[in-house]
Amino acid sequence: MSAGKILVVDDDPQIRRVMRTSLVGHKYEVIEARNGEDALTRVSAEIPDLVLLDMNMPGIDGLETCKQLRSGSDVPVIILSVRNSEKDKVAALDAGADDYITKPFGMEELLARIRAALRRAPTSPEGGPHAITTPDLAIDFDTRRIRVHGQEKRLTPKEFDLLRYLVSQAGKPVPHRELLQAVWGPDYGDEPEYLRVFINQLRKKIEPNPAKPKYILTEPWVGYRFAAV
Amino acid sequence: MTGRIRRSLRLIASPLLIALVIAFYFRAVHVNNTTVALTLLLVIFGISAAWGLLEASIASLAAVLGFNYFFLPPVGSFTIQDPQNWVALTAFLITAILANQLSARAKRRTQEAVERRREVEGLYALSQSLLLSESVRTASQDLVTRIVKILGVTAAAFFSNLTQETFRWGATESPISDAQLETRIEEPVIDRARQCAIVPVRLGGQALGNLGLTGALPSEAVLNAVAYLVAIGIERARTLETASHAEALRQSEHLKSALLDSLAHDFKTPLTSIKAAASSLLGQPRPDADRELITIIDEEADRLNRLVAEVLEMVRIEAGKLHLEKGPLDIASTVRSTLAEIKPALQGRVVDVRLQDGLPAADADSDFVQQALRQILDNALKYSRPGSPITISARAGDGRVIVSVADRGGGIEEHEQLQIFDKFFRGREHRFRTPGTGMGLAIAKGIVEAHGGKIWVTSEPGQGSVFSFSLPVHRGEIVL
Repeated sequence: MSAGKILVVDDDPQIRRVMRTSLVGHKYEVIEARNGEDALTRVSAEIPDLVLLDMNMPGIDGLETCKQLRSGSDVPVIILSVRNSEKDKVAALDAGADDYITKPFGMEELLARIRAALRRAPTSPEGGPHAITTPDLAIDFDTRRIRVHGQEKRLTPKEFDLLRYLVSQAGKPVPHRELLQAVWGPDYGDEPEYLRVFINQLRKKIEPNPAKPKYILTEPWVGYRFAAV
Repeated sequence: MTGRIRRSLRLIASPLLIALVIAFYFRAVHVNNTTVALTLLLVIFGISAAWGLLEASIASLAAVLGFNYFFLPPVGSFTIQDPQNWVALTAFLITAILANQLSARAKRRTQEAVERRREVEGLYALSQSLLLSESVRTASQDLVTRIVKILGVTAAAFFSNLTQETFRWGATESPISDAQLETRIEEPVIDRARQCAIVPVRLGGQALGNLGLTGALPSEAVLNAVAYLVAIGIERARTLETASHAEALRQSEHLKSALLDSLAHDFKTPLTSIKAAASSLLGQPRPDADRELITIIDEEADRLNRLVAEVLEMVRIEAGKLHLEKGPLDIASTVRSTLAEIKPALQGRVVDVRLQDGLPAADADSDFVQQALRQILDNALKYSRPGSPITISARAGDGRVIVSVADRGGGIEEHEQLQIFDKFFRGREHRFRTPGTGMGLAIAKGIVEAHGGKIWVTSEPGQGSVFSFSLPVHRGEIVL
């Protein structure tokens, strides 16, 4: 039984080779693509559980591939890049990536991030609601569906998990670190830029006025809070 | 000379033509007097139109005399019996004058039209040629040359306010001096007696210079048009010059960045495979000897990666390619994340952090400041005994935030304290004992200086060293 199907997208054949060997050794099924176009075809044809996407590729680059991919798929995407500035990380997350890892990386770290990306919080966290409904927002946590003004919206799995965790703690400020660990996993906690980007995207999707959020509120210096409804 | 001879010939030819007509009607063909008179009128008309008033007047006189003598009764005498003949004479003269005036006017019009056409053609040629020059200097030189050629003046000079130079072409002796040309004027100064003119060259209220012309001057309207064309030509050249300069600069900057990016990519890609392969092997159960060897590969891949990163960083700093994204920077959190980052290298050493209360935010790029701090901490760790304490402190003063890292290492001798921030410099004692590239402190210095700050060291050999750097305080609203 495979632990999941992973699409490795990189123009460097040696990197694809070492990834294939290592990931297969950890019971993952591996498919490969050597460029962005190839990756998009493979995603729609083979429906992988996760995409490892190189940022710097000839032709359409990783960011553009990620954006195009997001228009039709919620598959978790981890961007691999030699750049490690915060600006590059934010750009990758903004393009729809779920995580970002700097090359070169240790395999243990990559495996941990793959597990985190594939991990789904249980459908309803303990004590959390199964659904909430307000005049303009309806979230069904069991079916992972969300409607804003009656219109169905797509959330990526990480966006959905983030929203669900905030809602399960509705009315309470959730610190950055707690939120990162609840959604991404125990190895996370020092990536406040992840939260900035994902909260921003969530607000764009569910808030009537994203500039003046009424559901997802910022708690300065602490974290975020979902307004009790 | 030939003109005068031709004139004399025409003066003789006019009465001869009249004589010919009279001889023809008197000897060869006999017709009535009216026909003779009309024929003479036509000839006078023709002479007047073709040659001029004087020729026509002489012809008129000859015609009156001849007509009177040979055709009017009493034939063979100059007496005029019939007053009608006075009328004929007057008619001849009036015809001559009228015809002459008409033709002179027509000629003048034609002449004017030709001149206008020449001027317009000249202006057009000038405008065309001015569009070819690509820099202000070549445009200025070109335009004086072309003005002389196209307008047919003897000399042209242009003083450019932009380059503060005078460009001249044509006759070397010019009545227009440099000082005259350089004086700012509002209206054209035209001296037709001395055949010279100075016209201000302006565009949209901006004075670009003065244009001086000597020789056969065109009309004032044309002079103004020329000045306007010159202004457009110069302005166009200037725009082109600035644009191409900016473009060249942009392209070379872009090339540098692209080159650095591709270098980083090309170095790090093979390292990624090595690191991934080694760490993957380490993740599985192995015999001890294998594990030891693979660990060496893994660690050395890390070391190579750090080296590549440092070399590229140094190249970036030296190429002036640090893209700082400055903002309010909280020193406390920078210190915290830097310590978290180098935790493995600390190997349990105690770092004492003492930050002044109410420390203002620095105006800096957090990634880069963290990198500089890391380099300084790395340095302190490397050059002090394991287990010896390290202190990080920060205080504000004089519009700056000053961060210091103190160690209890061997210290730095005075003569080495200045060199220590130089690229590739290694202390005498440590050259072969302590690993490193000698780039760490040079990178820290490059980063701090790119922020407009300073870096320095105070040290007492045997007691330890204190490395400090200053950053400007962030002014304005602090955004959280």
